[in-house]
Amino acid sequence: MHAQEATGPRHGMRIGHGNGGRLAYLGFGLAAAGVATILLVHWLVAFWVPTEAAQGVVQRIFYIHVPAAWACFLAATVAGLASAAYLWLEDERGDMAAVAAAEAALVFGAIVLLTGPLWGRIAWGAYWDWGELRLTLTLLLWFSYLGYFLIRGSVADPRKGKRFAAVVAIIGVLSIPLNHVSVVWFRSLHPEPVVFNPEGPSLPGEMLATLLTSLAGFMMLFLGLFTIRYVIENHLRHRNRTSQPDNSGALT
Amino acid sequence: MTSLRWIGVIAWKDLRAEFRSGGRIAAMISFSVLACFLFSFSLGSLVAGRDVAAGLLWLTVLLASISGAGRTFDAEEEDGAFRHLLLSPVSRHAIFLGKAAANLVPVTLVAAFTLFALTLFFRIAAPGSVALHAAILLPGAIGLAAAGTLFGLISRHSSLGDSLLPALTFPALVPLVFFGATASSRVFLDRPWAEISGPARLLWGIAIGVVAVGALLFRYLTDD
Repeated sequence: MHAQEATGPRHGMRIGHGNGGRLAYLGFGLAAAGVATILLVHWLVAFWVPTEAAQGVVQRIFYIHVPAAWACFLAATVAGLASAAYLWLEDERGDMAAVAAAEAALVFGAIVLLTGPLWGRIAWGAYWDWGELRLTLTLLLWFSYLGYFLIRGSVADPRKGKRFAAVVAIIGVLSIPLNHVSVVWFRSLHPEPVVFNPEGPSLPGEMLATLLTSLAGFMMLFLGLFTIRYVIENHLRHRNRTSQPDNSGALT
Repeated sequence: MTSLRWIGVIAWKDLRAEFRSGGRIAAMISFSVLACFLFSFSLGSLVAGRDVAAGLLWLTVLLASISGAGRTFDAEEEDGAFRHLLLSPVSRHAIFLGKAAANLVPVTLVAAFTLFALTLFFRIAAPGSVALHAAILLPGAIGLAAAGTLFGLISRHSSLGDSLLPALTFPALVPLVFFGATASSRVFLDRPWAEISGPARLLWGIAIGVVAVGALLFRYLTDD
C-alpha cells in the first residue's frame, strides 16, 4: 500500500488518499469513538457505579488502570507478532505495524504505570513495591519497548536497526504470559484477576458493565491510534523513498 | 560435520582465543570480587551477610556478565573473521550455541568467584550446600550467557554501544535474576529442598527458553 497525498478529515492534515485515506478516516473514527467512550466511563465512574466495600473510593481508578493494562498488553502482542511477521516475511508492513503498536504500548504502559502507583499509595501505603511482580514486570515491558526505539535510532544501517528492534519486540512480548500468571502463582499485594478467572467474572453487574465499557473505549482508542500511526508511518516512508531512494525506511 | 560438533568447534575456538588474551575473564572476575569487597565494606556492619548474600550474588553476576557480553564479538568483528564465519556452511543456530557455550565459561567462573568472595567477605560460616548453589547458579549462568550473546551482537552495531546493553538485557533477565535470587537465598538460609525446587525449576525453564529463543532469533540478526 502506497499512500499518496490528500487531506485528512479534521485538521487538514495531509495523510494520503485511496487505501491510506480510508484507513486514516477509519483510524480517526475509532480514536474519536474511543475518546467519547472513555469520557462516558469517567461519568459512570463518578456518578453511577457503586463504591467498592473493601477498598472504598480509590478502587474507582481500576476502571482506567485495568483497561489501559489490557490495551498495553494487546499493543505489545501486536508489536511482537508484527515484528515476527517482518522477520519471517521481510514485509515492510510488518515493521510499520510493529512501530505503530510499540508506540501505543508505550503510551498505554505509561497510563498503567501512573495509575497503578496512585492506587497503591492509598491501598498499600506506598507508591511502589518492588515485591509486587505484576507492576514490576509491566515496568520492564515498558523499558523493553523503550529499548525497541533506542535500538532503531542508534544503528547506522536502517534495515539492521529494524531487524534488531524486531528481535527486542519479540523478546519483550514473552514477558506477558508471566505477567498474567504472576498474581496467581506468587503471593503479592496485587489483587487477583476478577474477570479472567476459572470461576468466571466475580464483579457485581454495574462494576462489570463499567469495566467492559471502559475496555471497549480503550480498545477503540488503541485501534484508532494504531491505524493513524500506521498510515503516517507509511506516508513518511513513501515520501522518504521518493526523495532519497538509497535510504528507504531511515526515518524511524 | 554435525551441528553438535560445530557447536563444540566454535566454542573451543572462542575459548582458546579468550584464554590466550585473558583480558575479558580477568576483568569480569576482578569486577565481581571488587564489587563483593565494596558491598562488605559498605553493608557488612549493617546487615547479616546471610540475609543479603543471594541478592548481592545475583546482582554482581548479572552486572559482570553484561559488562563482558559487549566484548563477545569485538575481536572477530574487528578483523572481519565473524563475516567469514557467517559465510561458512555452519548453521546460525550452531554459531549462536557455540558462542553462548563459550560465554558460559566466564559467566560460570564469575558466579563461582562471586559466591566464594561473598562467603569470605561477609564471613558466612555455613553458606549452604555447594551442590545446591551449583544447581541454581548453572541455569542462571546459561541464561545470562545466551542473553549476553544475543544482545552483545545487537549492541555491537549500535552507536550507543555497551551503554545500550542494560536497557536491552535487564527487562529480559529480571525474571531469571528474581527466581535465581529467591532460590539462592533459600539455600543460604538452609531451607529444605521442597522450598528451593519451585524457583529452581522455573529458573531452568527460563534458561532453556532464553537459549531456544536466542538460537531461533540469532539468524535474523546476522542475515545481510
